[in-house]
Amino acid sequence: MWYNARLMSSELFAYLFIFLGIFFESFMLVTFLSWPARTARDRSVSTKTPSVALIIPCYNEEATAKLSIESALRTEYPKDKFELILVDDGSTDRTRDIMEEFRGHPQVKIIFQKNGGKHTALNAGIAASNAEIVGCLDADTILEPDAVHRTLVCFDKPNVAAAMSAISIRKPRGFLQRMQSAEYTMAIFFRHALCSINAIFVTPGPFSLYRRSTLEKVGGFVYGQQTEDMEMALRLQRAGYEIDNIPGAHVTTHAMDTLPKLMRQRMRWSSGFFRNVLFDYSDLLSFKHGPLGFLILPFGLIAPLAILTVSAFTVYRVGSAVAHAYLLRQGVPMTWHMASLSSLHMWFYAPVSIFGLLGIVVGVLSITMMIIGKRLSNAPTNIFFDAPCYLLLYGFVAPVWYLFATADVITGTRRGWR
Amino acid sequence: MSLVVRNILIALCITAAIGASVIYAVNYLNSLRVQDLTSIQEKLSVDTLSLETQISLLESAPCSVIGSGTDLTSELDDLGDRLSYTENQLGSSDPQVILLKQQYSLLEIRDYLVTQEFAKSCNTKQVTVLYFYSNNDCASCDKAGYALSYLHDTYPNVRVYSFDYDLDLGAQKTLISIEKIADTPPAFVIAGKTWYGFTDLATLEKEFPKGSLIASTTAATSTKK
Repeated sequence: MWYNARLMSSELFAYLFIFLGIFFESFMLVTFLSWPARTARDRSVSTKTPSVALIIPCYNEEATAKLSIESALRTEYPKDKFELILVDDGSTDRTRDIMEEFRGHPQVKIIFQKNGGKHTALNAGIAASNAEIVGCLDADTILEPDAVHRTLVCFDKPNVAAAMSAISIRKPRGFLQRMQSAEYTMAIFFRHALCSINAIFVTPGPFSLYRRSTLEKVGGFVYGQQTEDMEMALRLQRAGYEIDNIPGAHVTTHAMDTLPKLMRQRMRWSSGFFRNVLFDYSDLLSFKHGPLGFLILPFGLIAPLAILTVSAFTVYRVGSAVAHAYLLRQGVPMTWHMASLSSLHMWFYAPVSIFGLLGIVVGVLSITMMIIGKRLSNAPTNIFFDAPCYLLLYGFVAPVWYLFATADVITGTRRGWR
Repeated sequence: MSLVVRNILIALCITAAIGASVIYAVNYLNSLRVQDLTSIQEKLSVDTLSLETQISLLESAPCSVIGSGTDLTSELDDLGDRLSYTENQLGSSDPQVILLKQQYSLLEIRDYLVTQEFAKSCNTKQVTVLYFYSNNDCASCDKAGYALSYLHDTYPNVRVYSFDYDLDLGAQKTLISIEKIADTPPAFVIAGKTWYGFTDLATLEKEFPKGSLIASTTAATSTKK
């Protein structure tokens, strides 16, 4: 009885969350089709050419820093108005030597500092420049030559404090990186739709631009619960500024190649989100802050519970069916099982549940958003390979990092950056 | 009305429409499956008449014409499969399912008796298996049923007649009494020998008389002879 009651309540929650998921995806698609998003993505390149300083904070980035710096130096923008500030945050590998290779370049400034965290490196870079627009480029991110110029159009609106581009995964390999590639492609769509209603809660670390005058008003970067980019976005939202996006501008970044690395990164992101929203920016959870306050942040907070419940329920259902089928078919040759699949009756009477069909709807909507994300950004991703990896893996791995992140927040545990 | 509120309302309508469509689709599929029950019922009635007619016709036919018995086997298999899927979907306590199972069991018993008769008079190499299962407290019944389906498909000379031990049907109860089947399914009567319990396919195969499991090509040759 107790067991059945538990199962029924989890089933009820699973249905509730899957409906919430469909509602959220539908809302995003409707928002994407609304006029603010349509107008935003139709913008052409700005005619204004404000001075831009791009900061590349590095900590032990010897593997990727050179590629990233070289890509930034290929930026198509008036050379006298574009500078690159390389900040070494006390690396212990060859990052300093790589930076030294660029010493003497007319557009490059190099700063070495004791290790103080990414936020201190960014602040050092901002302090070393007088540019009107300052930006952050992660040392594992490759900038497309026109990305800076295209993103600048967002600053034509006077209330825009920060702007960002589309981000995709560079040359994904293996199931895990392909899963992340699909996720990033979908995020291009989400970011664009959310920016059109000013409901974004993160200015991504890989590449974001900020209006210097606004940063001077709200203050520089802070530790921000290990998510300085999220903290900055929430601070800008609280101050009433807009954060904009141009999906046609594009950068590629590196995906985590092992499960432990991915877990660590996502636990940091998730716990950072919970801590920022629940502890430091809980005042944003109100109607006063528009869709960000009454829809997006609350959805972000319940997303872990939703994914956990739906995944657990799906694993239970599918797992039971697979275990039963395995036990049933033990000892009987596989060729006979395969032949029995051709039976029309088997397909006609195949178990079709409302939950399963709703799951298919969520999957189809997710793939639709990936396709839109790819078309918006022209990202060099392959949805044909990426989407199956996402649909098969995400439901298993995401609950794990959400579970650990929640436990970290409850117990007050702080994990390392890497 | 603000743009966001409008979008929320549209999204709610879309969600409701998707939910309603999914529920409708599942219900529609279930209604098709129920319709299939009616066709099974009609088929069972026709097959019962057909079997009686076949028996009358074959009584006067020589063994070379009779072959391995009645032509109902494939139809019984097909009906059995459909009935089994229907039972899984609608549940074994569904009144319509119970009625169909009763009709089907009667047809099976009739076919079994006729096949036995032919086997005696024409010395055919047919192996008949009476399989008694239960939907209550029988963990290995599903596995046993699946293994028997495999044996029947692989060895065409094996005829399997499945009976729900708990079915309330006079003729079946008589069969259970004659064969002295205890209330501990799964139970098998293989070539006249009763056997209980199921562990795996290999053990079940050993219960068949030696040389009785003839693969399809061999079976075809022996039938021609």
